[in-house]
Amino acid sequence: MIALQARRSRRTELIAVFGLRIAAGFVILAMVALLGYLSFEGTKTFYVDKFPLWSFLFSPDFSPDANHPGGIVFIVGTLAVTVFAIAVGGPFGVAVGVFLAEVAPHRMTQILKPAIEVMVGIPSVVYGWLGLTLLVPLIRTHTSSPSGFGLAAAGIVLSIMILPTVITLSEDAFRSVPSALKEGSLALGATRWQTITRVLLPSASSGIAVALILGVARAVGETLAIQMVIGNSVQFPKGLFAPTATLTTEIVTDMPGATAGSLLEHSLFSMAFLLLLIAMVLIVFVRFALRRRT
Amino acid sequence: MTEMSAQAVFNAAADKIVAEDVDVFYGTFQAIKHASLTMKAQHVTALIGPSGCGKTTFLRALNRMHDLTPGARVEGSILLDGEDIYGADADPVVIRHRIGMVFQRPNPFPKTIYENVVYGPRIHGEGNKAKLDAIAERALRQAALWDEVKDRLQRSALDLSGGQQQRLCIARAVALDPEVILMDEPASALDPIATSKVEDLIGELTEQFTVVIVTHSMQQAARISDFTAFFHLGEIVEVGATNQIFTHPKEKRTEDYITGRFG
Amino acid sequence: MAVTIVPRSPRSVAATSSVRARKATNAIATAVLWVMASSIIVMLAAFILYIGYLGWSALSPAFILGVPKETTPGGGIGPEIFNSFYILILTLLFTTPIAIAAGVFLQEYAKAGLFRQIVQFSAESLATVPSVVMGLFGLLVFVYTFHWGYTALGGALTLTVLNLPALLRVTQEALASVPDSLREASMALGGTKWQTITRVVLPSAIGRLTTGIVLIAGRIYGETAALIFTAGLSVTGNQPYDLNPFHTAETLAVHLWYTHSESVVPDVDRIGNGSALVLLIMVLLFNVSARLVGRALTKRFTGRVS
Repeated sequence: MIALQARRSRRTELIAVFGLRIAAGFVILAMVALLGYLSFEGTKTFYVDKFPLWSFLFSPDFSPDANHPGGIVFIVGTLAVTVFAIAVGGPFGVAVGVFLAEVAPHRMTQILKPAIEVMVGIPSVVYGWLGLTLLVPLIRTHTSSPSGFGLAAAGIVLSIMILPTVITLSEDAFRSVPSALKEGSLALGATRWQTITRVLLPSASSGIAVALILGVARAVGETLAIQMVIGNSVQFPKGLFAPTATLTTEIVTDMPGATAGSLLEHSLFSMAFLLLLIAMVLIVFVRFALRRRT
Repeated sequence: MTEMSAQAVFNAAADKIVAEDVDVFYGTFQAIKHASLTMKAQHVTALIGPSGCGKTTFLRALNRMHDLTPGARVEGSILLDGEDIYGADADPVVIRHRIGMVFQRPNPFPKTIYENVVYGPRIHGEGNKAKLDAIAERALRQAALWDEVKDRLQRSALDLSGGQQQRLCIARAVALDPEVILMDEPASALDPIATSKVEDLIGELTEQFTVVIVTHSMQQAARISDFTAFFHLGEIVEVGATNQIFTHPKEKRTEDYITGRFG
Repeated sequence: MAVTIVPRSPRSVAATSSVRARKATNAIATAVLWVMASSIIVMLAAFILYIGYLGWSALSPAFILGVPKETTPGGGIGPEIFNSFYILILTLLFTTPIAIAAGVFLQEYAKAGLFRQIVQFSAESLATVPSVVMGLFGLLVFVYTFHWGYTALGGALTLTVLNLPALLRVTQEALASVPDSLREASMALGGTKWQTITRVVLPSAIGRLTTGIVLIAGRIYGETAALIFTAGLSVTGNQPYDLNPFHTAETLAVHLWYTHSESVVPDVDRIGNGSALVLLIMVLLFNVSARLVGRALTKRFTGRVS
């Protein structure tokens, strides 16, 4: 009787495990499909429309109607906005991460951590709307910018949006430093700040690198919040307050109106493919940074 | 050493740290009860007792490490050269400059050997490279590590063996030129050969420093210490010259522990 | 004995000037950190108050239940709210079983090996793909290749792929939080691995799992970029509360974006304010209930509170 029971449950188990394996395989399938479809469609610009890759990447002349979708304006835009965001949000996020890991009393943590979770939950379109209704008019009144749209607005909004990512990952990195190291430093007469800067920060450096890289990934991929405040004008960012565009905002601005099969549509897919490649490169960086942690 | 001259030695040496009626609380739990102990300058005082008896807790009170534990409270007086280290204008940073600590498991920083040793002087303001180099050499010699690492000071401290790392931690503590070195079972994580090297080192260190060492090995206490305090359930049961404690313990509990009846 | 270089420490226990200087630096740095951390809380509070203040006047039954207008004022967001929930439920229907199954497989069965590494790598890569790129993927597959046009189902499937990595990670972490001693106890009593998982591990993990699912649900609710190209920008004219998954389904988040970039209605501000407020309320609701539900479930299934 027991033997029969055992056999039956073993059979259930085998079937179940097979199902689980399929589910796990689905993840791989999704990734492969994504890569496949996007590489196929994203390269049409080059081998169907015969537009040279070099020009796509480096020509400042974006005129798809004239068969010349040069994309460097958007690449530079993405770069500029990302650099702004990580330059502001990066150090701020790491600092708050240190605060949470080392300085904050329990009561403060109980307020701050849920606050950060709420920040993560706020949809990017709401951040964009906030930027549109709050930040852009502010910039318009207080600076030389005629419209308020531009790099500064997008950069500020983006800095705020990547804060939760950088904060939580930095905090994890600091917490994972063995407390024996902290004790050793304090036992030698160091102040807490000296311990943080001379021992904790170097020890947690690979974790912080991961935090920053993922912050960058978030910034590169953000679309709507930026699109609502950046001005969407196809020109290089001339300073902080002139309207410009990024790879993501361009896709969202022009894709709804693009005809299927047109050069414009193909070039937009090429931009998407480029974004995908950038994301994968960042993953490789993250793995590299993680491996450095011996 | 007869009991008479041991007492004479005890009286002749200066009092470095005098703990009187010390209580240590973790919240409402009292870990140390009315502990009184005089630790003599340039001698080794060993704290022995079964696990959980409070010897490490007592040790950590001596350099104010309990300040770092929320909810921990130290009462009573602990005098360093006559001054209360828990007094109103006593500063933990200064105290830890004068009273160094070596931990149970070696905890070198993930930096070079050189940077580990000079960490203490650096954070206390010493920036002159020539001076730091001299300090590093002096400290590493004092820790009997110089000959082994002098050619690779710029290599990572984490590449050293366990025993070497522990001696590096001793060098790190000694680099600050403290007056007292507290050691919390410094050889318990080491193999026998490394252990005996560390024990020999402790003997040399007393030429200049006062050493207070927690150890769970009675043989180790007997080998290297001058005076021994036996802890049990948070109280100091008996104190005396090491020789006397191990051959003619006065308290029954001490005798039971030493003869292995518990612990 | 070599000459000591550093002068023997001062003979007192009180602070010297250099020590005071270092402690001053410490105090200033600590204060700066406090200011930075507090500014985040203040900023968030300001956002919430701002959205609440502006959007409050826009909220009315006509707004919440009414239908959007193309060019005239007075439009509502009823169908959009409905669509947001509809797509959310559809997405969760697909994502949850796949993610939990894959997570169980990775955590309980395939602890090492090439297959696991490939799956982890795929998941990590998918996690960094920008949502707009995922939207284009959905456009290619569901709108074009499958010839569905803009559909709720297409949107839900795209969001499934988008959120799979996150839910997979939630599952893995929830399972990992169950101590091995529980598994061993079950096996020692003669349970098979499968029984151990279904009767011991999953119930123990269900609290954290649900918290994670509800939090991800909040993110799905606010998703925009991926839906613009898959679920579309409009609601079916005659039957706005459409249960047919094969019709266009503009969600609330997409609607907020649409009104502020493409739309030509004159009361853009009112619609925007109201939509933003509703979205914010939904997010807060998801956040709060995630914790509550998680705690309640843990209590129900394990008897403890955490």
